[in-house]
Amino acid sequence: MPTVHVEKDRCKGCELCTRVCPEQALGMSEKINAKGYFYPVAKEADKCTGCRRCVLMCPDEAIQVEVKGKRTAPPEALTGAPLHYCPGCTHGVIHSLIGDAIDHLGIREKTVGIAPVGCSVLAYNYFNVDMQQASHGRALALATGIKRGRPDLAVFTYQGDGDLASIGMAETVHAANRGEKVTAIFVNNAIYGMTGGQMAPTTLPGQITSTTRAGRDVKHAGEPIRMVELLNELQTPAYLTRVSVHDPKHILAARKAIRKAFKYQMDGVCFSLVEILSTCPTGWGQTPHDACGWVVDKMTPYFPLGDKKVPEAA
Amino acid sequence: MEKKLMKGCEAIGEAAICAGARLFFGYPITPQNEIPEYLSSRMPQVGGTFVQAESEVAASNMLYGASGAGKRVITSSSSPGISLMGEALSYMAGAELPAVIVSIMRAGPGLGGILPSQSDYFQATKGGGHGDYRVMVLAPETVQEAVDHTIKAFDYADKYRNPVIILADGILGQMMEPVTFPEPVRPEDLPEKPWATTGAKGRERNIVNSLYLNPDVLEERNWQLVKKYEAMREDVEFDTYHLDDEVDVMIVAYGTVARIARTAVDTMREQGMRVGLFRPVTVYPFPSDALAEAADKAGAVLTSELSTGQMLEDVKAAIAGKRPVEFFGRVGGNLMAPEEIVEQVTALMERQGRSVA
Ligand SMILES: Cc1ncc(C[n+]2csc(CCOP(=O)(O)OP(=O)(O)O)c2C)c(N)n1
Repeated sequence: MPTVHVEKDRCKGCELCTRVCPEQALGMSEKINAKGYFYPVAKEADKCTGCRRCVLMCPDEAIQVEVKGKRTAPPEALTGAPLHYCPGCTHGVIHSLIGDAIDHLGIREKTVGIAPVGCSVLAYNYFNVDMQQASHGRALALATGIKRGRPDLAVFTYQGDGDLASIGMAETVHAANRGEKVTAIFVNNAIYGMTGGQMAPTTLPGQITSTTRAGRDVKHAGEPIRMVELLNELQTPAYLTRVSVHDPKHILAARKAIRKAFKYQMDGVCFSLVEILSTCPTGWGQTPHDACGWVVDKMTPYFPLGDKKVPEAA
Repeated sequence: MEKKLMKGCEAIGEAAICAGARLFFGYPITPQNEIPEYLSSRMPQVGGTFVQAESEVAASNMLYGASGAGKRVITSSSSPGISLMGEALSYMAGAELPAVIVSIMRAGPGLGGILPSQSDYFQATKGGGHGDYRVMVLAPETVQEAVDHTIKAFDYADKYRNPVIILADGILGQMMEPVTFPEPVRPEDLPEKPWATTGAKGRERNIVNSLYLNPDVLEERNWQLVKKYEAMREDVEFDTYHLDDEVDVMIVAYGTVARIARTAVDTMREQGMRVGLFRPVTVYPFPSDALAEAADKAGAVLTSELSTGQMLEDVKAAIAGKRPVEFFGRVGGNLMAPEEIVEQVTALMERQGRSVA
């Protein structure tokens, strides 16, 4: 019988695991953990089929599942340091997927990651690889410098929408246009999380933020920017795709895309950018579960999922 | 050693290669375009890389990335472009990354003009970006010195793990003079940088970073950086001309103005005037002690710059009121003629009640 292992003190009580469990095997604890959160317990352990959806969905690497003596483990390319993100924020899910890709390709010892300015500014604490911390928006300029100096390394940037699509727009467009052989992981959460929930270039029309209190008015603020589509206009070959991490099925698709994006650079094929729709329950004023629903209902119609550009002969 | 006749900008470019740099990132701006133009063809010849960036913001952040990955790297720009590099300069100083930045000053403020100037002395020596940091600044007077400084700048940058600026003006950039180059450094012979992000193989991972959220940790770091900046005094450089004996007036000037002042000193010496020149070669760290000592043997001091009075502040601080310090500047892209300096010195001597021989 599969066993669910919960590292209870890593848990922030977002309840995303209990929501994605198809068998309702998981419930929440009666007591709180060291952080003050209720955490999942396998209330109906015998119902667990070992599907691992909870493992994929957990943003805090707090759950592992053991099936027939084989236990899931967090990626080696992550340090295991507890993540500082808000409960239910899917930055953590994306970290795990990047860690997975690095492990999968066996490139941990030749990877350099670049942390942005934004909620993920401390990403250098979480990726178990050499890291550089960039000024706001310049991650892809750093990546260019590193890759041009050391073409043998795998270089990735991790950037929010303010970072990559607003202050760093020029760096993004030109790195893509030069066809730098690097991987940009673009976390689109439709808001500036770190500075307290202001409008982002990707904030949806009518979306309320702390600087669009009556909702984004496109007459003054313009329409949200679709980065993948915008970059698709460039003639330089690239891998451009949009994925989402609001449920386990989509997390698996995102995993595939991120692996591909790293593979393209290791093979010297092209620039790649993976745009990932991500939640900001705190900034959006929603529960983690509702935030995942909002990604589906509100974000995906405007930000369609799927590959936009795939390099030829790939 | 074979002498070559070279333009200042091209000589700086060749010097970078001589120092083992194989990466240049930059964005065009007059009057320094000959540096990127030269390196765009020269870098590939030596297996190096030239990237024309989308802006100086990007170019300087590419510098950060490449330097963080352990490479010798250089950029060049002029006043408005150096303003845009302020961000990366601050981050590189914070993350302790070596890099060489060539600043060929033009007249400002704003778009200003494209003619020579020294109005970015503050920008180079007092910051340019945010935060409590300093960068070493070398101010060459001749094309040969520009070559020597560029090569030295890479060594200083690595020694102190800090950006180093070569501060010159358009005249030096455009002027042709005979130069010699030392034996080139082979990049593969340069010492390893154990802190660089080169892939965490067989070692703990490296992090290049300037973020310290804990105020006590950051304060500690700030004071550590100050210690490093103070240690740079070890490499202070200056030059004197006719200052062995007492003088009535000591001129203080750097770079191109020092060349003009030399001619003025020669003229005045011929007329029997007791005049000499003190030339700061490193303008950060500023040769304050040497200048104060030299001032002890001078009646008065005349600081001359292509600015409205920037180095003047360092001169005054060094001399600390012990001698009168006066100023003569030309700006807007105009130069002073040696005769103007002679006039200024003569007038100063008269004001000081000293006989003009
Ligand atoms: C030059 C500069 N401007 C502004 C800021 C302030 N700032 C920090 S994070 C941030 C927005 C980050 O938003 P995003 O990139 O969307 O990432 P998120 O926090 O949502 O993950 C801003 C404006 C800064 N640090 N530097």
